[in-house]
Amino acid sequence: MNHAEVDTTQLLKGVLDLAVLAVLAEADSYGYDVLRRLRENGLDHVGDASVYGTLRRLYQAGALNSYVVPSEEGPHRKYYGLNNRGRKALDQSAQTWVSLSKALNHLLNGRSNGHGK
Amino acid sequence: MASNDHASDIPNYAAAVRAALSDLPPDQAEVLLEDLEDHLREVAAEAGGPLAERLGPPEQYAQELRAAYGGARASGKRQDPALRDLGRAIDRVTTSTWYRQVRAFLPELRPAWWVLRAYVVVLVITEAVSPTHNIRLIPNPFSRRGLLEIVAAAIAIVVSVRLGRRNRSLAKGGRVLAIAGNVLIALIAVPALASMGTFPSFAMVESGGSGQAAQGRALYMPDGPVTNIYPYSRDGKPLTDVLLYDQEGRALTLDSKIGDVTTDYPVGADGQPITNAYPLHQRHFYGDPVAAPRVAFPPWPSASPTASPSASPR
Repeated sequence: MNHAEVDTTQLLKGVLDLAVLAVLAEADSYGYDVLRRLRENGLDHVGDASVYGTLRRLYQAGALNSYVVPSEEGPHRKYYGLNNRGRKALDQSAQTWVSLSKALNHLLNGRSNGHGK
Repeated sequence: MASNDHASDIPNYAAAVRAALSDLPPDQAEVLLEDLEDHLREVAAEAGGPLAERLGPPEQYAQELRAAYGGARASGKRQDPALRDLGRAIDRVTTSTWYRQVRAFLPELRPAWWVLRAYVVVLVITEAVSPTHNIRLIPNPFSRRGLLEIVAAAIAIVVSVRLGRRNRSLAKGGRVLAIAGNVLIALIAVPALASMGTFPSFAMVESGGSGQAAQGRALYMPDGPVTNIYPYSRDGKPLTDVLLYDQEGRALTLDSKIGDVTTDYPVGADGQPITNAYPLHQRHFYGDPVAAPRVAFPPWPSASPTASPSASPR
């Protein structure tokens, strides 16, 4: 694991809650599916344990509902979905993220202009 | 799907993850890990290949789980589950509507406290200056002491209410001092108010008959129990072995268990102790005889000596 990767992991950790909430806002989902959808959206560095741990924490914090969907082949799946609290958390975090990313983009644009990317 | 090839992986992998997280408090570990096997089955079903290859070694997986689940307070920092349960219980109480209503109402009671604390302070000071062991709810206005108490309480109430109203503009240090003072007064108030309303009681001695050592209930004066009786003659001479009886002819006895003294009763011809011969022969626990009190004798109308400054026991 090189330093760049460590940094990515650290960055991701901060926004993983938001990412997971956003995925679940699209549609209810189970652990592995959440991971897959995150990766499909370009979050390649997310670890399985991180997603599982985040889901359990958000559930424990009362932001998610969960229900089990039996399946004929393969294991039963525990689906998670947003409840009101989760939606509120998502809205707030999204606002924070938007302003934060605006500020960072501004900073980074200045830098890339200066270096003539 | 290649799930079945590695189905036996799952219990082993899960057990290794659990072992790596065994330092978590049990309830927290359960919440985190209750779905672990299901989830691993899911991963195995969709991904194929050995779990350790897909997910990394179980120890690393456990570490990542811990970090994600713990959020900001990642590894190490643990809280006593009992303490956390207490915290949750307090949260439940403090967020309930009735608590907020009570909380909002309490400031209304401030003036009542200002009056009460002034009253308690006056009570405690007068009791400390001249103890009567008989604090009354309302001091007797016809006694000098009572009148003084009432006046002092009135002044103290005015001062206390003024202090209370000014308190809000206090600096931080003064505020802490004020809170400490109020807590102190409140602590003193509990025993002071609890001892209130003990009216003078003259409990009669219930004697089982003369000559019996069995002691009845204590005899009380307004400010304490009677432990001995010292008879004197009219001219101030101390008398000994005076036998006392009440209006029913019962031997007047005292509770010998009061105070840290031992009483020696003379033994009669019938072998029974005589318990109503006064003054009682009493010794302190460490052996010295109990000295008679200094008494002031009343002035008799005749030419007999007016007063003897003190009297000593035999």
